[in-house]
Amino acid sequence: MKVSFFPGCSLEGTAREYGESIDAVSCFLGIKLEELPGWTCCGASAAHCINEFLSVSLPAKNLLLAEKLNHDLVTPCAACFNRLKNAEKTLIKESQQTDAATPFRGEINVLHLLEFFSREDLIETIKEQVKRPLSNLKVVSYYGCLLVRPPHVTDAKNWEDPQALDNLISLMGGETIFWPYKTECCGGSLLLTNIDIVRRLIGRILDMAREAEADCIVTACPLCQANLDTRQEEIGKAKGVTYNLPIFYFTELLGLAFGLKGTQKWFRRHLVDPRPLLKTKKLI
Amino acid sequence: MNQKIETQRNQKTPVGAVLVVGGGVGGIQASLDLANSGFKVYLVEEESAIGGKMAQLDKTFPTNDCSMCIISPKLVEVARHLNIEILSYAEVVKLEGEPGNFSVQVKQKPRFIDLDKCTGCGDCAKVCPVEVPNAFDAHLINRKAAYKHYPQAIPNAFAIEKLGVSPCKASCPAGIHVQGYVALIKQKKFKEALALIRKNNPLPAICGRVCTHPCETACSRKKVDDPLAIMYLKRFASDWEYTQAEPEVPIIEKKREEKVAIVGAGPAGLSAAYYLSLEGYPVTIFEASSEPGGMMVWGIPEYRLPREILKKDIDFIKRLGVEIKTNTPIGPHLSLDDLFKQGFKAAFLGVGAQKSMKLGVEGEDLKGVIHGIDYLKVINAGKELHLGDRVAVIGGGNVAIDVVRTALRKGAKEVFILYRRTREEMPALPEEIKESEEEGVKINYLVAPQKILGKEGKVTGLECLRMKLGDPDESGRRRPIPIAGSEFTLDVDSVVPAIGQSIDLSFLPQEREWNVAKKGTLVVDPVTCATNVAEIFAGGDMVTGPATVVEAIDAGREAAISIVRYLQGIDLYEGRGKKLPIAEVTPEGVKKHPRHHPGQVPAAERIKNFQEVQKGFSEEEALNEASRCLNCGICSECLQCVEACLAKAVNHSMTEKYLNLTVGSVAVAPGFELTDPSLRKEYGYGHYPNVITSLEFERILSASGPFQGHICRPSDHAEPKRIAWIQCVGSRDPSINKGYCSSVCCMYATKEAIIAREHDSEVRPTIFYMDIRAHGKGFDQYYERARDDYGVRFIRCQISKIIERPKSKNLLIAYVDEGGKIVEEEFDLVVLSLGMSASEKSRNLAQTLGIKLTPYSFCQTSSLSPMETSRPGVYVCGAFQSPKDIPETVSQASGAAAFASEIISPARGELVTIKELPPEQNIAGEEPRIGVFICHCGINISGVVDVPSVKEYAKTLPHIVYVDENLYTCSQDTQAKIREVIRENQLNRVVVASCSPRTHEPLFQETIREAGLNKYLFEMANIRDQCSWVHMDKKKEATEKAKNLVRMAIAKASLTEPLHEQELKINKRALVVGGGAAGMTAALGLADQGFEVVLVEKEKQLGGNLRDLYYTIHGNNVQEFMHSLIEKAHNHSLIQVILNGVIVDAGGFKGNFKTGIMSGTGMAYRKIEHGVTIIATGGEEYKPKEYLYGHDERIMTQHELEGKIAHQAVNPKDLQEIVMIQCVGSRIPERPYCSRICCSTAIKNALKIKEINPTAHIYIIYRDIRTYGFLEDYYTKARKAGVIFIRYDLENKPEVSLEKEGLRVSVYDPSLQETIVINPNLLILSAGIIPRDNKELATLMKLQRTQENFFLEAHMKLRPVDFATEGMFLCGLAHSPKSLDESLSQAKAAVSRACTILAHDTIMVGGIVAQVEEEKCAACLTCVRVCPYNVPFINEQGVAQIDVAKCQGCGSCAAECPGKAIQLQHFKDEQIISKASALFKENVA
Repeated sequence: MKVSFFPGCSLEGTAREYGESIDAVSCFLGIKLEELPGWTCCGASAAHCINEFLSVSLPAKNLLLAEKLNHDLVTPCAACFNRLKNAEKTLIKESQQTDAATPFRGEINVLHLLEFFSREDLIETIKEQVKRPLSNLKVVSYYGCLLVRPPHVTDAKNWEDPQALDNLISLMGGETIFWPYKTECCGGSLLLTNIDIVRRLIGRILDMAREAEADCIVTACPLCQANLDTRQEEIGKAKGVTYNLPIFYFTELLGLAFGLKGTQKWFRRHLVDPRPLLKTKKLI
Repeated sequence: MNQKIETQRNQKTPVGAVLVVGGGVGGIQASLDLANSGFKVYLVEEESAIGGKMAQLDKTFPTNDCSMCIISPKLVEVARHLNIEILSYAEVVKLEGEPGNFSVQVKQKPRFIDLDKCTGCGDCAKVCPVEVPNAFDAHLINRKAAYKHYPQAIPNAFAIEKLGVSPCKASCPAGIHVQGYVALIKQKKFKEALALIRKNNPLPAICGRVCTHPCETACSRKKVDDPLAIMYLKRFASDWEYTQAEPEVPIIEKKREEKVAIVGAGPAGLSAAYYLSLEGYPVTIFEASSEPGGMMVWGIPEYRLPREILKKDIDFIKRLGVEIKTNTPIGPHLSLDDLFKQGFKAAFLGVGAQKSMKLGVEGEDLKGVIHGIDYLKVINAGKELHLGDRVAVIGGGNVAIDVVRTALRKGAKEVFILYRRTREEMPALPEEIKESEEEGVKINYLVAPQKILGKEGKVTGLECLRMKLGDPDESGRRRPIPIAGSEFTLDVDSVVPAIGQSIDLSFLPQEREWNVAKKGTLVVDPVTCATNVAEIFAGGDMVTGPATVVEAIDAGREAAISIVRYLQGIDLYEGRGKKLPIAEVTPEGVKKHPRHHPGQVPAAERIKNFQEVQKGFSEEEALNEASRCLNCGICSECLQCVEACLAKAVNHSMTEKYLNLTVGSVAVAPGFELTDPSLRKEYGYGHYPNVITSLEFERILSASGPFQGHICRPSDHAEPKRIAWIQCVGSRDPSINKGYCSSVCCMYATKEAIIAREHDSEVRPTIFYMDIRAHGKGFDQYYERARDDYGVRFIRCQISKIIERPKSKNLLIAYVDEGGKIVEEEFDLVVLSLGMSASEKSRNLAQTLGIKLTPYSFCQTSSLSPMETSRPGVYVCGAFQSPKDIPETVSQASGAAAFASEIISPARGELVTIKELPPEQNIAGEEPRIGVFICHCGINISGVVDVPSVKEYAKTLPHIVYVDENLYTCSQDTQAKIREVIRENQLNRVVVASCSPRTHEPLFQETIREAGLNKYLFEMANIRDQCSWVHMDKKKEATEKAKNLVRMAIAKASLTEPLHEQELKINKRALVVGGGAAGMTAALGLADQGFEVVLVEKEKQLGGNLRDLYYTIHGNNVQEFMHSLIEKAHNHSLIQVILNGVIVDAGGFKGNFKTGIMSGTGMAYRKIEHGVTIIATGGEEYKPKEYLYGHDERIMTQHELEGKIAHQAVNPKDLQEIVMIQCVGSRIPERPYCSRICCSTAIKNALKIKEINPTAHIYIIYRDIRTYGFLEDYYTKARKAGVIFIRYDLENKPEVSLEKEGLRVSVYDPSLQETIVINPNLLILSAGIIPRDNKELATLMKLQRTQENFFLEAHMKLRPVDFATEGMFLCGLAHSPKSLDESLSQAKAAVSRACTILAHDTIMVGGIVAQVEEEKCAACLTCVRVCPYNVPFINEQGVAQIDVAKCQGCGSCAAECPGKAIQLQHFKDEQIISKASALFKENVA
């Protein structure tokens, strides 16, 4: 099973632990994630707000690269995923409307890493490989918006109530709690421009997670993770509460459940240190 | 009418029967109308009972009547109607033929309960162990698999729901009712569970341990987590039995003579013996060995099957009288033929497979080689045989495992198995393999023996070869292929080949020829187990080759059935060998709950001895495990209901039936289904427990619902205070192809909010809506009452999502408030107002019937005749035609009935049944001779009330001639008995003490009438619903109460008198008042049914409002339509048209009215005699006083605009700006009602203008847009065409002024919060509808009117076209504002209702009516005022007079009369008082 991997920029910076845990987990499962040679920016954050042509052509360049290799393209970032999917749909639509041969034939699939890990065969392997079940760990899953919406771009089947993270957590032996905030926006795109809105949105998500009595939140996007992780203290202070909710990447939890070595190295990078929680749950 | 002509042209007499599909309120009304008009009706209903959605509702708007209370009399009427045949649980599968003569095929599902025998007592449901969600209660609670749809259901009978055979039962070789015994265990009915197992398997303790349990492999629960531990449940039940005192053996009902011999006491022989004994045959088993049990004793080690367990099962069989002769081999000394000579009449052979199969390798005869079965036999016989330290067992089956584990227990140091394939192919049970490995057994896969090595005649080693797997062989397993050169040698002390057994048939008498298969087994018939010798049957391993215990048991049982049939001369094959469909379920939303594992003795300990390894379940574990069952088949076939039903109505062998019917026409009313709330996932239905559907809320509100009307929310059963309704869920939503409005949701949500408030005054209801659509009669007033009097908060905002608070499960809703601010509010409960969708079943039905559907999958109909489908002769009504409420459905149902009967009217009366009754006895002057029948109602009454003591008590009461008790008084045989008793004992009064008069009084009245007694000589005491059911725990007191009730009934009975109904002739002419669209349609409808009609119009020409209409919103040409109607009316031979006619006097009653009319220029007077009257006096457009109407010619009404466009007085091309103002003269304090059609008229005209001039700017200033049903599509179309809709509030009405530059309209738009000013070319006022002047007519004919002067129907829901005065009907605008197609439908409905009278030659009047004692009457007018039907009047003698033909028997006048001058017959004061004083009389017994 060979796929092209589009890491996106975050994995080099704020989400290093995401990148490392992806490497460790896929290596353990014997999956080859081959970094797309010569990949470039997907155009998230800025391009799609300013220039429609750029918003399609930046990701399109990557799609063409991937199609040349004839492997499905997997990305771990919800924003990258959304841009790539958007480009894919636009290119396919254009080719249908104009009859003109476009360079992109649409013969490869664009997948988010979470989707990729939810493939039936991988699910079976993951099930077999769980060595240290995440017993008693109460988790709320957080998909954010770009992973599932808009459904005509993402092809998400159950966009109001996605299940992939919940299923993986159950496989790992954790307890998933149903909560209504799985697909609420964390305000990621306003992180630098309108911090008040971001604080309100994140505060609400954290409040609800607490109300749901979750021990932690699991995500599948570097932006969501960073947003939820970094602002807990300031929001908590303003409201007079302490959140202290670890925000995991799902691949980190997979590593933990597989009993991989070196997980602590990832956790050290979190602003809300998950290790005390994992210790009380006897998971490390 | 065209169809009728065609039918006549075909020279065929039409069939006087109609098929009605759908038993909801529409189907019910159509059936009743048709049956009452002289036609036979087949009413097909898919459920087990009729009633449809209406039966599920709590209250109905706008009158807040209890839905069940008003539909239930209709249900009873249908049930008792001689000419309506209800086909419940049925669907139409074929329709062929043509109008007037269709042949129909109906498929009827088995009900498993005989309708003729079921009394509806419910004993079957009480014992039924299976619970499934109750669909009638919107799945809020459970019901049993044996169920009645709802308490008032008609047919008043139970049904058993089966989905098919559960996979466990289907996979069980013995066909045990697995789901059944699991269900019984769950209910702690262990004894019954075991008895059920024994119906198919007499060795439950054994099979609870050693069965290969294919049931568990098939169990659907594995799709959720793990399969049920079925085998251990069986073991639990049988182990439980042995903790009890001596287990009961079944009673043998009849002993028989013919002796049966059985050869072999293995599982097959024992099973055959058991079932033959049960049938009363003397059985002897001949067993060659010293012990009975066959392979179960010799082959299975004790650690798996303790010998005392084996003995218990065999002893149970012996206790039935089976004789087992051990050490008695059949063979040379005692041959089979000898047995027949000894007098045995039949024999069963079950000798098993005893011979070990040889490996066929070198060295097999060495010492130290012993075959598996032979080794086990030695050990199981209690002998010793030491195999040495190292033992190699060859084979992969259960025998190999048994051998290796036995050898281990017997002291072998190292044991291993050699198997030539891999673990996957191993036939041994996985748990056996696992256990053996725990005990230290090694299994070497892909190894085959080549040669047994020996020294001095004794085994020393084994030469083996490694294998690899090739392609699958015929067994489906991959074939082992030797790997060349892979030989190796093992040092062993002994070798035990366990590779199978073969059959030894040498005992069979050689003089006969036996049918033997190639592999050495005896060939028998696969269904009957018969050999080629007639009296000899065989089964088990000797037929199948080595197989399982349970297969042998089944063979024994099947053979027993065959032997019984053989001995009794019955066909061996009949009804056998059939496979029933398996219930495949896909479990959804089942909570995981893994399988329970009973413990085991630890491996280290258990290898020391032969104690049983496996432990059993504790009772708690068994109950928990049993509760994991998913009830795949729904009915578990536990057969408890068969035992419980004393009426013997349960029949589990019923099958599907196909009925072929011939009918003349078809009326379809399949109704709707609620739109699936999961189409709108953002509301979290299914995830958030406190988000419920509107139907669920109806059931919660209902007093007969799951919570007895107590409002509580699902998550915690707390009382919700903050309740929100979200409107338009699945309506007005093109994104899910539901672009239409469901018409009823605004009103039902308002009603639910009001009722919730009435239940709990602390409830604060909020309704989130887009437009309030209160377009029906009295609806707007209802909405305003909700808002103003009940404090229901209406918030105009479509909600985009609901969020649940994780802990409290409260719900957060964000909305935009009046100030335009986003507000988030918390609610305790949210109700989704679900829209109506066409059901999948109705779509299938349409395909079967060959009728076309609309893009929304509703029934396609013609735009001016909404009851006509695309197929002639097939008519539609109700929500399948378009979403609509109850009165419109009922009205359309009558309309469809009119169409359906019109084409077959020549056959009226031809297929109906009329009951012949004997003459009534004259009992005048006789002393009361009362017979009392006291009902047990199965155990419903007698389980609580001591019926014999009530009977003895009743005998002591005065006038009692006869008292009896009956199991079921309502059963057919008891009815016959009652008739006989009446004749034999010359009874002149009858009392039945049983259930409710509501359902049963008419039945008993009919019974005594058939015996020649007047039906009013009957009295009933309700000792079930009002006694045994409500005092279940107080038996003594209940018995006393029953006596009291019986005493009261007898007291009244002794004073009852025969009442005689009078027969009156019916005048078959109809009078129709009003010559507009409705009046003409009604007149033509009646005339086409063959009745004479007088049509009176006050104007000089026919046509009414149609004269001012030119096109409909659908594009019909109204003028053309009108002219054709007028022409037909004038030319019809049966219609007499009176123009310029005025009604000047009126009198008479149903069937015999007399009306005076003055007509013509000379106002000539004439008197018309007629049997029915239809009022169709119409309405007209209100002439506005508002908005400067009349001051400027650019200001006009919609009617006027339409006329001007049609006559080109206005050219839309010249118009740039047009303003239309809605609700002119409607929905204002002076005229609080909605005129219903103005919104669609405005849109119609706007679209017309847009069509001609697309650039015209049209502004429609509105309050709520009320384009209900499919009219919504035109609203969407208008918005798409660019028509601008601006909302206004009543507080801020638009202002119109005439300025220099022209018209100026200014309006405050609440959503923009700004005032908008427009200078239109034209201002169109959407003026409301007002009734025509009808005051005089109402007074003359004593007709009731609403506050707004529309005529008032008898009942807003269920009698929408009847007046309270019988024989008088209404339709069209005279009833309320409505569209043209609705007027036409209603006119047809009036025709149908009128036909129910005109179809008869005579009517019976009188009976229970009020009578005036003239000398006591003071003419105080009290009765005149209180009578709801306007019947009493003060006559020429100055006293009150009550016409028997008009009196409804309600008793209001009798109760109110201050002079006690009025008495209601059958409920006279002395009769009621006698009852009351009997209650307080000393209990004389």
